[in-house]
Amino acid sequence: MAYFVYLFMVGLVLGMAVVAVNLSPYFAAFGLVVVAGMGCGVIISFGGSFLSLVLFLIYLGGMLVVFAYSAALAAEPFPESFGTTGAVLYFMGLVGVVGVFAILYIEEGSGLGGCSSDEVMGMSSCVTEYDGMSQMYGPGGFLLVLCAWVLLLTLFVVLEMTRGSSRGPLRSVK
Amino acid sequence: MTPILFAFSSAFTLGLTGLVFHRVHLLSALLCLEGMMLSLYIALSTWSLGMGSASSSALPLFLLAISACEAGAGLAILVATARTHGTDRLQSLNLLQW
Repeated sequence: MAYFVYLFMVGLVLGMAVVAVNLSPYFAAFGLVVVAGMGCGVIISFGGSFLSLVLFLIYLGGMLVVFAYSAALAAEPFPESFGTTGAVLYFMGLVGVVGVFAILYIEEGSGLGGCSSDEVMGMSSCVTEYDGMSQMYGPGGFLLVLCAWVLLLTLFVVLEMTRGSSRGPLRSVK
Repeated sequence: MTPILFAFSSAFTLGLTGLVFHRVHLLSALLCLEGMMLSLYIALSTWSLGMGSASSSALPLFLLAISACEAGAGLAILVATARTHGTDRLQSLNLLQW
């Protein structure tokens, strides 16, 4: 099972390298999808099933859809993909640097960290997460309501920002 | 350094590298920022799971809410830029006349 965790971690770093190479934004969005999926795998292998579900639903289902939608605004006739302008070399360079640092700094036999190794009937024994989720609605209710207000404020910020050419904050000065 | 610590810190650094060195499209910069926030989410989640502390495992959700606000504001700037400038290239943002 530990090999799966390593697979997820390597996929996390590789997907992030795809985002960092900065091809056309379509490919960067695909890289971010890979990063989000692998991040779900990492979190779930540490025993956080609810946090992983939230990441999958909110991040992949909500935010990345909007990002993929707004990739249409960055449309260009010749999108820059792997194979053009030495992007493969840059990608290999980034991954190589990360690999060198991994060899240097990951201590051998340091384990994964966390409590993923404790298993009860084949399932992870970390169940503190659900306590935390219920505490979010109880003692952490103030912060929850504050986050809801922040999201509502963001709605008005977005509406003002995309108001148009007449009164928005970003407009042509005539 | 445990492997998970190395994984998310190198993911954060890679996102920062992409944000700093290559800024052709505004959307690319926003995607790099989102990747950084995602690695922070993974860091907070694995931290609270590894510590086994119940009350801190709600922190990633709040981080995700703030990150959604950031993504919304960034995409609003992207839409406004595409409307006024016709493109989302960052070079066109410091033009005085268009």
